[in-house]
Order: sequence, then structure tokens, then C-alpha cells
Amino acid sequence: MSAIQSADRSMRSAISRADGSADFENQQNFDRAVARLVRLITIPAETAEWFSEKDLTPASKWTWKKMVRNPAVLAISIAVAVIAGVFVFNFVSHLNDFPGSTTARKLLGVAASTRPVMLDPVNAEAGTLSDLFFMKHGLEHYDVPEEFVDFATIGCRVFEDDESRRIAQIWVSEKRMQFFLFPAERDSKTGAVLRFPGWRYVHQEGWTGAVIERSGVCFMAAIRGRDKDLEPYIAKPKE
Amino acid sequence: MLGDSRKAQEVFHATLREAAQRAARGELPSEPFWLFRDARWRCLEATKSDLQPESLEMEEHDIAVEAASQIQGLDPMQLAIWISAAPDPQRSALALFYLDEFDYREILDLAELKLGELSRLLANGRRQLQAWLDAKFPQTREA
Repeated sequence: MSAIQSADRSMRSAISRADGSADFENQQNFDRAVARLVRLITIPAETAEWFSEKDLTPASKWTWKKMVRNPAVLAISIAVAVIAGVFVFNFVSHLNDFPGSTTARKLLGVAASTRPVMLDPVNAEAGTLSDLFFMKHGLEHYDVPEEFVDFATIGCRVFEDDESRRIAQIWVSEKRMQFFLFPAERDSKTGAVLRFPGWRYVHQEGWTGAVIERSGVCFMAAIRGRDKDLEPYIAKPKE
Repeated sequence: MLGDSRKAQEVFHATLREAAQRAARGELPSEPFWLFRDARWRCLEATKSDLQPESLEMEEHDIAVEAASQIQGLDPMQLAIWISAAPDPQRSALALFYLDEFDYREILDLAELKLGELSRLLANGRRQLQAWLDAKFPQTREA
């Protein structure tokens, strides 16, 4: 309980006890008489001039401009704008997410760091490597889509990612593109493949990937550039 | 508070000057009664160097029925001088209370007093003022 509330209670109880008594009435008359006399005390003319209808220090008017310039409001606004910016950025960057997009982004990072010497030299058409992956590595359905089968390869390799999934990587001479084939994402409970229709784009560190899922395997064509660099190679428009 | 219009004027102007300077710097305090609190301290400061009244036991009388008529017979300046001669914080309590501008909570805040202290200071002040009135107008009391 605050001091004021306590004071109010004491005051109310004191008044209620004294109310109506002759002494209290005397005291009130006394106080009123003194207050009347105090009001008659003359104020020097020079001082009285200062008392006018106008405020001596008029309260400053509230304006949007003043409020915006308030350092506290400014700091809070900037903080809120930054938080909102991060939120919007995250929202937009995950707007086009699809099953396997996280793996695809990681593989774009791999594409950026891959050097030709890291791959086994292969001089063939990309479409023919499906047999190689099946015969040599036992990888089923690691097929290069029709749109990219005719591309001449420079090299290829099969490696395991940090989740022990087997990834096939192909380097082609066409615009130094790289292809990746990797297992599609599955439902953790049922084990069913999480499918998505058509081509989807992912972006990472200046690289762009176009991803499609077929028979439980994802194929990604990766290029250093933008969506428009990959669009001519993809038969269907992106979804 | 001062019982001296010249000194009161000086304090008033000094307080206003300070307020104007603070306003110009945009440093006006947000608390409601800072101007009055400032003026009160200036008044106390102004009387520090004055001749101080002897500390003596003031006579006290019960408030009389005819007190109001006794007070009417007083000159306003006499009352002002009587209040200004009281020792602080009684002086602040009486001045603020009889100005009739503040409620008791505002007086507690302004004079930095507790409710019990304010009540005691006012009660003693009334009884002392009554004793003074009785001494000044003995015939009224006897009548």
C-alpha cells in the first residue's frame, strides 16, 4: 500500500471521527478565516504583473515530428525496423522452400568450392552417367533429366554428405554447370518420399540451382548466376 | 514565507529566471510542483542570513469560538510576518496550507513532510496563533 493511500485512509478516518464536533467546526472556521486573510496580503505590483492569463512556460505542443525525434522513440523504431527486416528476410527466403531445399543449398556451397581436380575425369554425355552410378556405386534412379542429357561432361564423383547420404556430382562443360543427384527428403514417420511438382529454384552465395524430384531422387542443375541463366535449359516454366 | 515583500520579489524573480533558463535549454522538470519547491528553498535560503528568532516555548491556546472575528481584526501583513517568523518546517506547512491552493497531499510532497508531521505542525500553529490573537485582542476573548 502506498504512502498516499495510507495517508488518504488516515485522513478519511480522522475527518469521519471529527465530523460534526464543535471543535472541528471551530477549527474549520479558524482555517477559513486565516485563508481569507492570507488572500488579502498585498502582492507587490511588480510581481503581480507576472500573473496573467497566459502561461509563463506554455507546455510544448505534442507533434509527430517531436515524437519521432525523441531518442527513445527513435531507438525503439530502429530496433523494431531491424527485427521486422530480419523477420521479412527470413520469411521471404523460406517462401519458396520445398522438401530437400536445405540439402540443395548446402550442395550449392559444395559447387562453389569444388575444383576440377576433385572429380574423376569423364568424357561422355551426362545422360550416360546413370548407368555408371548404378553399375559402379549401386545408385538407382540417379538419372539426369532429359533437358540435360546431351551435355558433355568434364568429370564426376560420388561422395557422402554430413548425413551419410550418397551424392552424385557431375561437372559439364556448358557454362561450367554442375549437376547434383541426391536422395529426396522423406517423411520421418512413414518414410514416404516428400514430393514436389516441377522445377524449383534455390539460391546460395551467388549460385542458383534448379531442382526437380523424380523416383525419390532429386536432380539439381547448379550455375553461378541467376534464375534467368538456368531458365533456357528447363523445358517447363518454374512453379 | 518571508514576511518581506522586497525579498519575496527577489525570490520570485530568481525562480522565474531559473525556470526561463531551464525552458530555453529544454530541461524543464516533468514533476508538477518543481517551481514551488524551488521557490520554497530559495525562501529558506534567503532567511538563513537574517536575524533568527529566539527559540522559546510558544504559548498555546485552544481555538476559540470567536477566533474568526479575532482574525478579521488582523492586518494581513501582520499575519504574513507572524507566519514568516515560525521555524521551518512549520513555516512552510502554514504558508502552503493557508495559501489554500494545494491539497494536503501536494503540501506533503512540497514540504517533504509526513502526514503526522503536517498535522502536528498545523495543530500547534493554530493553537499558537490563537494564543497570539488572545494576547492581541484580549477584550474579544473576555467578551
